[in-house]
Amino acid sequence: MAKQMLIDAYRGKRTAKPPWVPYAGVHCAFLINEPADKMLQDPELLAKGVVETAKRYKADGIPLVFDLSVEANSIGCDLKWWADNVPSVTNHPCSDKTPKDAGLEMPTKDSGRWPVLYEAARIAKPQLDELDCVLMGLFCGPLTLASHLAGVRIFTDVYKHPDFAAEVIKFAGEVGARAAEFYAEMGCEIIAIVDPVASQIKSETFQQFVTPNCQPAIKAIHDAGVTSSFFICGDCTRVMEDVCKIGTHGFAIDEQLNLVFVRDLARKHGVGFGGNLKLTLALSLGLLSPREDAIVSLAAGGQEGYTFAPG
Amino acid sequence: MADEKIQIDVLTLDSVQCAACGYMMESIAALPADVQEMIEYTEWSIKSKDGVGKFLELKGKVLPTICIEKDLVFESIIPQYEELIDEMAKRAPTDAMRERIISLRGHGFEFDKIQENLKKAGSGQATRADSTITS
Repeated sequence: MAKQMLIDAYRGKRTAKPPWVPYAGVHCAFLINEPADKMLQDPELLAKGVVETAKRYKADGIPLVFDLSVEANSIGCDLKWWADNVPSVTNHPCSDKTPKDAGLEMPTKDSGRWPVLYEAARIAKPQLDELDCVLMGLFCGPLTLASHLAGVRIFTDVYKHPDFAAEVIKFAGEVGARAAEFYAEMGCEIIAIVDPVASQIKSETFQQFVTPNCQPAIKAIHDAGVTSSFFICGDCTRVMEDVCKIGTHGFAIDEQLNLVFVRDLARKHGVGFGGNLKLTLALSLGLLSPREDAIVSLAAGGQEGYTFAPG
Repeated sequence: MADEKIQIDVLTLDSVQCAACGYMMESIAALPADVQEMIEYTEWSIKSKDGVGKFLELKGKVLPTICIEKDLVFESIIPQYEELIDEMAKRAPTDAMRERIISLRGHGFEFDKIQENLKKAGSGQATRADSTITS
């Protein structure tokens, strides 16, 4: 386990070997034999799950949670809980009004589940430090949070009602900046914006709505002196150049992209990149050999700016 | 036939875990009640063997994808409301249904029955390898 090696890779630097991050998420609950919904609401169980998982997988870094409902929940969205999955957002307070008209306010450290995360980080952080493992803070990116707030209409509004869309996504970006500050205060040394739905739009839409509304959070991360990343899912080929230019130290992608393509793009822009063990085809379904898949990823990623991780 | 419906299959990783998949599903679940009467839709999570089978049957390439009448229509792009209406209308089994769908083009999404509609489509309920999905 090696914190500095991971930070170096996230910043696009050469490393002695590729560092490794399991984005364990609710898999941590499985490993400590607890339901996901119980673990995510109990700081002691959450810390236990994260630390046990980091030990078991000899991780160089591990997220405190991988749960994109935290920010939405802390500003008024309701949740449906699952025993074997992350919670899902069940209502959209901005489906017919702006955040201001809906009376939404910036989250505080006491909003929603932030107190649980602060307490879990307080317990887990010294144990992870002892393991030389980075505690990572992951928060919901502006377009995904805007989707939680306004619902699927946001993908129509970016074309039909751009002023409304801009207001919702700007608010979401400001909430993200607050989340970044919280994670920095918890002691996270890598903080990532996670915006999975940003792969489902055109490049121009990304540049208009996602790039500018990530800047407050990126500034908050960099002002705190820690390392930034941008996580995106799905087939994000059409926005990959935009991801490289967004302003974070690096990015991470999922199993649907070709790692050689991604590596070359990351190196062209001098940023770190992570991925892309096949979470579904290899790790979950076993249709591909996880061992061979890992070897392919490691060979493609190399030792310059690359973090080995599930995709 | 009066009870003929447009079949929509949404190929996903898992609409609970993956936000992109979730909003692909919601784009169908938030269609107006009049449209809901004319469509049948199912989530096929690739975490299940049934989902893998459907992915192969429809020759899926990326996740998430919305298939309408077995055509891969929206691949890794969450559709606008009007785009969805137009693509469904193109594939409507009768002229009467096509006209009825087109007449709803200006209506927009409805958010009051999303959870109920997602439940009917099996959203988030079949994410294990041995989960059974029925369309």
